[in-house]
Amino acid sequence: MKGQEWYQQETVVESYEDKRFSRGGGRLTDRLEKAAVFESLAPVEDKKILEIACGTGRFSVMLAERGADMVGLDISAPMLGEGRDKARRTGVDDHMEFMRGDAARLPFPDDHFDSVFAIRFFHLVDEPEAYLREMARVSKGQVVFETYNRFSGRSLYNWALPMGSRLYSRSEVDSMIEAADLRLTGETHEFVVPFGLYRKLPGSVARAFRTVEETIDRTSLGDRLASISYWNATVE
Amino acid sequence: MKENLMDIICCPLDKHDLELDVTERDDEEILAGTLTCTECGETYPIEDGIPNLLPPDMRDEAPA
Repeated sequence: MKGQEWYQQETVVESYEDKRFSRGGGRLTDRLEKAAVFESLAPVEDKKILEIACGTGRFSVMLAERGADMVGLDISAPMLGEGRDKARRTGVDDHMEFMRGDAARLPFPDDHFDSVFAIRFFHLVDEPEAYLREMARVSKGQVVFETYNRFSGRSLYNWALPMGSRLYSRSEVDSMIEAADLRLTGETHEFVVPFGLYRKLPGSVARAFRTVEETIDRTSLGDRLASISYWNATVE
Repeated sequence: MKENLMDIICCPLDKHDLELDVTERDDEEILAGTLTCTECGETYPIEDGIPNLLPPDMRDEAPA
């Protein structure tokens, strides 16, 4: 899997949230992503939710704070250590568990969770169908995942990523969903401007960009240029 | 991890139940120990309070 080693270097982990989500435009994307995740899963209270590739628990801890019974799985021990500390600091550790595991061979029985989701994950994998099928196996209801789109503003800057991201066309996503015996119930297309660019902008410039972006996002042109999509599916 | 996680987790290889062996505990929290599959006998470590349920073939390529 791409990035497997990169995400496990302690130096990367220590600066991960600080560099990406705590300043300027990064803080804006953090807020927008969290809102998108929450909206796709809400209501979350007392729901059993699994996050695949939870990293430092940015989304998992947020959902636990809103009352979800959370499990976060990742391959990286340093990332999970950060997440565990954060869960303790925010006082959600009585209903939030972290574990290391392989997303292709999950350590859970069939149909256990109400919802299973993965954000910023599918661009890293080589065999997306197998991963989506495994997510569907352990969910008894909902599966939410996000993809980076093949035809978008992102294509222009993809070379700048630390690893080549896998980009998805609409038909690839449709066939993955079908192969996993899922049914698509909703979709959201976001971010004409890719995250990586936002992160480099000061907060005020990023907000101005966002205003323009929201206007374009509402048009069909915006959907075609969207760099990421959230797919909301249900187990058949 | 807390002990009630045992209700959820299973062996990633054959999905059978795991048996918990605790070596270090802090109140409710299990900090170190092992999880052993009751079917295939594979053992998974609990390190710094986090169970490592990576299948054995991935432990080497994914160093802690």
